[in-house]
Amino acid sequence: MVLALDQVGVAFGGFRALSEVTLAVAPGQIVGLIGPNGAGKTTCVNVLTGFQRPTSGRVLLAGRAVSGLAAHRIRRAGVARTFQAGRLFTGLDVLDNLACTGVGLGLRRREAEHQASALLAWLGIATLESRPAAGLPYTDERRVAIARALMGGPRFLLLDEPAAGMSETEAADLAAVIRRIALERGIGCLLIEHNVGLVLSLASDVVVLDGGRVIERGDRAVILGSQAVREAYLGANLPEAA
Amino acid sequence: MLRQHGIRRRMAATTPLILAVLLLAFVIAVSLTHDRALARMAAETLIRVTLVVGFWIFVGNSGVVSFGHAAFACLGAYVSAWTTLKPAMKATLLPGLPDWLAAAEWPVAAAAVAGGGVAALVALATGAAILRLSGIAASIATFAFLAMVNTIWSNWTPMTGGTSSVVGLERYVTPWAALAWAVVALAVAAAYGASASGLALRATREDEVAAAASGIDRYRHRLLAYTLSAFFCGVGGALTGHFIGVINPDSFYLSLTFLMLAMLVVGGIGSLSGAVAGVMALSLAVELLVRMEKGVTLGVTTFALPPGSQEIIIAVAMILVLIFRPAGLLAGREIMLPARWVGGRADRTTDPTS
Repeated sequence: MVLALDQVGVAFGGFRALSEVTLAVAPGQIVGLIGPNGAGKTTCVNVLTGFQRPTSGRVLLAGRAVSGLAAHRIRRAGVARTFQAGRLFTGLDVLDNLACTGVGLGLRRREAEHQASALLAWLGIATLESRPAAGLPYTDERRVAIARALMGGPRFLLLDEPAAGMSETEAADLAAVIRRIALERGIGCLLIEHNVGLVLSLASDVVVLDGGRVIERGDRAVILGSQAVREAYLGANLPEAA
Repeated sequence: MLRQHGIRRRMAATTPLILAVLLLAFVIAVSLTHDRALARMAAETLIRVTLVVGFWIFVGNSGVVSFGHAAFACLGAYVSAWTTLKPAMKATLLPGLPDWLAAAEWPVAAAAVAGGGVAALVALATGAAILRLSGIAASIATFAFLAMVNTIWSNWTPMTGGTSSVVGLERYVTPWAALAWAVVALAVAAAYGASASGLALRATREDEVAAAASGIDRYRHRLLAYTLSAFFCGVGGALTGHFIGVINPDSFYLSLTFLMLAMLVVGGIGSLSGAVAGVMALSLAVELLVRMEKGVTLGVTTFALPPGSQEIIIAVAMILVLIFRPAGLLAGREIMLPARWVGGRADRTTDPTS
């Protein structure tokens, strides 16, 4: 039961956004995906969730190729995602934002609302329930987006820069939430982040992309010791090896 | 915690009730005047409520502007004519009808349902192709559909009489008959809006990408709303035919499309109350302008607007609304009972959502 990219390539005309990228996420595991701007991180998420068809290679879910499936089918198969921008349904309140995903997954409206309410409580944001989604503070918007992605109990959750623009404290709170999602719910998480420190503190396995290629993979020690990673980042952002 | 949300749901459920009561009050007020011209205006307005509320089911929830719904009204009107006209009349006007249809003399209510049903079936078939397109492409395809239906209807002379009018439809549509259908349309529109499919469709309107990432099959919900929407436009077309007594393909073409769109835009595309408000506002304006075109006598002089100014003034009104109040008169809000009314009732009954 693994979500994986197998030798995936994506080309936009003559531009190769991804070349032979292979990575895998297991249930309950947190995998980090890092790399400089334009490295192809979001393209990976788009391919994994059906928003981008790979030009070559396969997307595998529990051993089955799902590369050609529409995005909403992949979501129903248990692969959820968040977006860099929150992309909440701004005309609806918070509960209905979650309920939308519930009905998208085939629940009746009332069942969807009950599940939504329980999830908001689990994430400690039950008070937001009847607030309009438009105009939520930034961190709340992020949390609601994560709650929405958790509707229906996905098996995998892909987080696209969830901590972007957050303070240290807010990022630490978010890290605790992600850890709970993996530990308590057994959901496999793929974490894309510019905050390398956050990724290294959470992920058991980190994949580094540069120019659409995997340039390094391994645990915290491997990434921090890697010359290739250092060069890709030109020393920026990367914490000193312990 | 769900309690607050439950109260809001119950408040939303009062919207079609209030709108129905307002329309009922309108019909009663008009009946009390015993003015035949006003009664005709009321019937016409209520037929438009059915048409525009039907139109809103798709456009309001999906956010996709359709230019094709007048074609569904055309289908409804002709199906009703085919099934209710006297066989002798049909033999002369529509010689190409198949025998069973030529002999048919259905009750008018059944014919209206059949008109809506045929419109819905055609919507299901054409929507299956059109609604896979996104946004503006889908809108343009609906316009092509309208042009196709108009061309076919204008040239399929043995079945439709071509561009010459079909006459002799039984004129049974009183304000009360039109009110009955308007209320049914309101109830179905509100029920759809509150349903799982209505919620999912509104999510696609807000953000197509996030909706897909939420597992929502945009195409399926659009097709359902389109079909339901076409049903009421078909019924509205049938009512229109039996209101005037005469139909031809051009009475369901560009000017009806424009009027329906203008009503939705003026009232506000974002809410059911807006759709009804738009119909009422523009119908009253049209009535006023028509009377002014005929001339208003003040003492010895008669003032009259030049013929055709009605259309121009309606168009200007639509542009002004788009400039100064782009979300329409009601700006997406619904008319509903205040929370304490429905909240009070909820306290006495068992509320499954709290």
